[in-house]
Amino acid sequence: MRIEKMGKVFDPHDHALTDGCVSYAQSPQVLMRDDGVRVYFSTRSVDAEGGKFRSRIAFVDMTADLKTVTGISGQTVIPLGDLGAFDEHGIFPMNVIRVGSEVWGYTCGWNRRVSVSVDTAIGRVVSKDGGTTFQRLGKGPVLGPGLNEPFLVGDGFVLRDSHAFHMWYIFGTRWIRESAAAPPDRVYKIGHATSVDGIDWIKQDGVPIIPDRLGATECQALPSVAWFGDRYHMVFCYRGVHGFRTDSTKGYRIGYASSRDLIRWDRDDSGLGLSGTPGRWDSDMQCYPHLFVLNDQLYLLYNGNHFGRDGFGAARISL
Amino acid sequence: MFRWTKMGKVFDPRSWPDRPWLQEFAQAPSAVLFDDFVRIYFSCRPASDKDGQYVSYSAYVDLDRGDLRQVIRVAEAPILPLGDTGMFDEFGTYPVSVIRDGRQFRAYYGGWTRCESVPFNVGIGCAISDDGGCTFRKMGPGPVIGYSLDEPFVMSGPKIRRFGDRWILFYIAGSRWKMVDGRAEPVYRIRMATSDDGIAWTKAGLDLIAPRIEADEAQASPDVHFANGHYHMFFCYRYSEGYRGHERGYRIGYASSHDLTTWHRDDDAAGLAPSLQGWDSEMVSYPHVFDVDGRTYMAYLGNQVGREGFGLARLDGSRHAD
Repeated sequence: MRIEKMGKVFDPHDHALTDGCVSYAQSPQVLMRDDGVRVYFSTRSVDAEGGKFRSRIAFVDMTADLKTVTGISGQTVIPLGDLGAFDEHGIFPMNVIRVGSEVWGYTCGWNRRVSVSVDTAIGRVVSKDGGTTFQRLGKGPVLGPGLNEPFLVGDGFVLRDSHAFHMWYIFGTRWIRESAAAPPDRVYKIGHATSVDGIDWIKQDGVPIIPDRLGATECQALPSVAWFGDRYHMVFCYRGVHGFRTDSTKGYRIGYASSRDLIRWDRDDSGLGLSGTPGRWDSDMQCYPHLFVLNDQLYLLYNGNHFGRDGFGAARISL
Repeated sequence: MFRWTKMGKVFDPRSWPDRPWLQEFAQAPSAVLFDDFVRIYFSCRPASDKDGQYVSYSAYVDLDRGDLRQVIRVAEAPILPLGDTGMFDEFGTYPVSVIRDGRQFRAYYGGWTRCESVPFNVGIGCAISDDGGCTFRKMGPGPVIGYSLDEPFVMSGPKIRRFGDRWILFYIAGSRWKMVDGRAEPVYRIRMATSDDGIAWTKAGLDLIAPRIEADEAQASPDVHFANGHYHMFFCYRYSEGYRGHERGYRIGYASSHDLTTWHRDDDAAGLAPSLQGWDSEMVSYPHVFDVDGRTYMAYLGNQVGREGFGLARLDGSRHAD
């Protein structure tokens, strides 16, 4: 594969965002439109009390060459969840698909815990106005913890083929501390679920589908799948379990796997060949990838340093 | 109307000072019959921590089958450990419902975690015993029945039953949190799920018991048994606010059904009310009805939702006179 980096294509600091958000444009995910693409992303507000972040969904409309911004969300795309709900403290990320005249969103909702920082689950929201605003169908998730996926179910990415809906997502396996005084860090893996209606999902329940490269404590996130050429391609990001926020050698990198049957995946991170450019926006970290096909071209959107604080970039991929 | 003769309090956790994990509370009694004794599982707590927070464990007491007022023994240790860091049951295993399954026993329990904006969340776990119901191993690190669109949080109060080939789980599911005097209180309703194996569950997706005393009425302990050709449910209910005293605290309700889905509520028929004085004078709650040697009994909690233990009542007559 050959990868051609297009640089950073969106910086949230250059635009007016709603809901008190200023920085962060994380996990870009596209919705195809007649005149270009709509890219949903998660930005952040800051709690007046306590100073913690809340992730919120926004979008930017771009021309099909991803070079020009033509619009940006001017109102709340989806409000955060109610008191005590799984998505009370943030939505990050959201994956979207068109189903008939509707746009469905699969959200990753965040809720804060006491002994660990957070738990997540996957919700489903629906837009009847072409993806400008979304509504919940209930307060709870459509995919949450199970017997062998005890917490941190999130990052759903949905692909619909002629037989079923497929979802790739992540599930937590354990929380571990680097030292006795350190806060617990999470470990999570990529799983696969299927559904006939996009609402009721059958999980494999605790079966990681992508082999570890960094050992049992490797953290894998944000799977994204596209059919191109003669097979399915998956990108995701991965890192070690500790020190990833401050040590650039331990930060997120983009992983890659391919499959012909959506069951067996061959991991080959070097096959994609994406690396950071020294001194640039993605020098220390590459994360939250999103793969899609536009005008017979395979594209990758992704975040760079600081988990996407300063926006997202793009790359063209040739087989 | 059911007529019960109260037998008094039969188990007080404060009588067992050598068990630091069993300092207070004996909640949500659940019976399993053995040849010579009746084992009553319950949930209890050690002393609270420096911030006044509790964890909860589950354990059992064995009562003499010939005279249920006689305690034979109490568990030496909790039947289940708390979950690891970040697990759904890190801070509590309460309540528990145990059923025989061939040579094994299976326990369904509420696992408690602590949250930032609300005090807690609860999920329902499952565990198996190979040693006659003394200790249990978890079937997995996570809950066995998940949150869903209309059951978003506080899945608790499991009561496991087998009717014919089907496993039936009665439980409660939260519908919203309401702020009461600066404290978040969950509103929850009685729900049901069915299963062929007790692991993969299909939710019924409806509230089984309509609220009666107020819209936000809290309902708990959906205890169902089959007798005289139909299903009977004893449960408890209370007001959503100011429920820690006599006036608005827990009472025991009753409903009946032919199909497990449509229930006819008739609280007056339950027949077990608070006493004028004594250990169950403020409130009565968490009913569990079971048969022993042709007699029908109800285990239930008294004041402060079981802080001082549970008691028994015996149904007048050999069977439900309904």
